[in-house]
Amino acid sequence: MNNKAALSIFDKLYTKYSGNMGKMLVHTGVIGWILSSAAQIAAIIVNDKIPKEQKMFLIPQEAADACVNILSFYAVTRSFCAIAKRLGKTGRWIHPIVKDFLSKKNLAKKIGTTGFDISKLKLPDNIKSTYNWFSQGLEVGGTTLGAILSCNLITPLIRNLYASKRQKNNIAKMNTPTVQCNPLYGDKVNCPIRKTLARPITPSNGQLKV
Amino acid sequence: MCGMSIKSISNMTNTTIDKIVRKIPAATVKKEGVLKAIKWTSDHLAAPHNNRLILGATAIIMQPLIDLYNKNVDEKTRKVSVARTLAKIIAGTTTGYFIRYACLKGIEYMTKEPIINNSGKIINKLQSAIFPKGVKVTIDGLKHYKNAIGTIAGLGVMLFTNFLIDAPLTKLLTNKFMKKLDIKNNAVIKNPYLDCPRMDIFTGETNKGGE
Repeated sequence: MNNKAALSIFDKLYTKYSGNMGKMLVHTGVIGWILSSAAQIAAIIVNDKIPKEQKMFLIPQEAADACVNILSFYAVTRSFCAIAKRLGKTGRWIHPIVKDFLSKKNLAKKIGTTGFDISKLKLPDNIKSTYNWFSQGLEVGGTTLGAILSCNLITPLIRNLYASKRQKNNIAKMNTPTVQCNPLYGDKVNCPIRKTLARPITPSNGQLKV
Repeated sequence: MCGMSIKSISNMTNTTIDKIVRKIPAATVKKEGVLKAIKWTSDHLAAPHNNRLILGATAIIMQPLIDLYNKNVDEKTRKVSVARTLAKIIAGTTTGYFIRYACLKGIEYMTKEPIINNSGKIINKLQSAIFPKGVKVTIDGLKHYKNAIGTIAGLGVMLFTNFLIDAPLTKLLTNKFMKKLDIKNNAVIKNPYLDCPRMDIFTGETNKGGE
């Protein structure tokens, strides 16, 4: 990578994230999830102890799990980030110093209304600085709250539901022997049928083809 | 839905967000404590290592409880899942925190303002290697930029540490927690069908299942 290209990348990153911490947390969070899932999938691929047939099941399962995680994280965290950002930008939640300044400028009626954007107004340095940390605080707080809810509540609940369903199916498969228990019954007397034998057993002559 | 453009989806999302925001009561935040909390959040929580620590701390409170009260699985599975969740959170948070912290310190070292000598050359090339030289830089903006680059660098490092540290540490801790929770690996999953009574069709006698 030459110096010019490197500089332009850093400049672009500065422009993108210097005033937008919530967005940065969402984007890096999604990248983190993707890398972590990629590592899990790669761990399955390089594991020699797992047979090929199992790998064919485990890899798509891990990929599906990753998709749920990433989508849930992105949708929930991004929504929280956007709501918190809008609260600060429109002044729906506002610092008293900023409110006083806007009131003096006859903008009191516009505060908190849709489409009003304090960041686009020309503000004195001290007011701008107050507005900046206040709205950044709301945005970062909202994003963190979204991430906590998504990663620590929604995703584990969905994952547990999915995993328990899978476990039940697998145990049911495990408990169904394919060997015929007694061919004298004339049909496949395997365990699911044997379950019905838990009733009082009276073999009918029709079944006994002796 | 397939015919919808990305712009129209984005507009729909914006409208929904506007509706939600309108439902939230307007507030002028006057309480000193709340203002301090918002300032602290702005100053500290955006730092990648602190953010990871907060996520890890809340995870350790919430996730094991969710696993513990998962009624869809048996008690042994619940305990194993609690042990594994705890191990994953502790391993992930510890490595995640220290790697992000180290990356942030490294990035801070390389984001100094360039010092140019009389002949127009940058003296501190390494220390200003990733300073954004083509745009107007502010103190606050630079702080956030360092956090962003630090997080991205941390993610790059974690691509390797996920294998080298996280996975073995999670395994080690899971086994320790399983011992503490008294979970034995040799427990057999009970097969209800094998316990059904069986009948010998020649004698007509029934035996207890599993015998």
